Amino acid sequence: MARGSAIKVLYFAQVAEIVGLREEDWALPAATTVAQWLPELEARYPQLAPMARLQLAVNQTHATPDSPIQPGDEVAVFEPVTGG
Amino acid sequence: MVIVQADDFDASALNARLRERTAGQAGAIVSFTGYVRDYAENEATTSLYLEHYPGMCEREITQLCEQAATRWDILDSLVVHRVGELGLGEQIVFVAVAGVHRGQAFQACEFIIDALKTRAPFWKRETLDDGRRFWVQQAGADARKTASWAVGTPVGTPVEPSPS
Repeated sequence: MARGSAIKVLYFAQVAEIVGLREEDWALPAATTVAQWLPELEARYPQLAPMARLQLAVNQTHATPDSPIQPGDEVAVFEPVTGG
Repeated sequence: MVIVQADDFDASALNARLRERTAGQAGAIVSFTGYVRDYAENEATTSLYLEHYPGMCEREITQLCEQAATRWDILDSLVVHRVGELGLGEQIVFVAVAGVHRGQAFQACEFIIDALKTRAPFWKRETLDDGRRFWVQQAGADARKTASWAVGTPVGTPVEPSPS
């Protein structure tokens, strides 16, 4: 977990390749939601825009647009899963 | 019990383990084994790499097994999923469910593997014979099959990127 007013952001699979990182700390002074935070992600990584379906998990739980994100949270960004 | 590992597994030993855990109670054990296949049409595949989200994978699959135990009359379940580099035809996933009767065990086993495919955070990257690599895309059919179990939205609502 990121400390202070930050979140830890994890990138997986093709998203990690496109972003060029597997994880980073991201400043987050106040609580927000997935829908509100997503434009920040897209502003930092415009190369993600062509990806049709991004999914997020907050603290290792699948998130929806109204899921809260708070300082200290672990946020993961990935494409639809393909296990099994 | 949920195990995510790089090593191959012995399906009959896993069946035997579940049988021991439910000895005297189980009238049926239903199991499913998945194998690496060629995901690209008309292009030969040499290998497959499976990336995963450690921690969340185990949590998601454990929750699916708990859901199955709530919904069907089963005694126990066991899931093993492999990660890392896998060759064509290798074992990739194993799901077994023990129940008093077969019907409930069949349904719970099918539910777990269907839901795993759309909820557990694994991603497949395929390498073709000519060296090209690509990430396998989730099949619409898989999402529809999970949705058919009425477990809610398959993997949260996909977030559409804003138009640039």
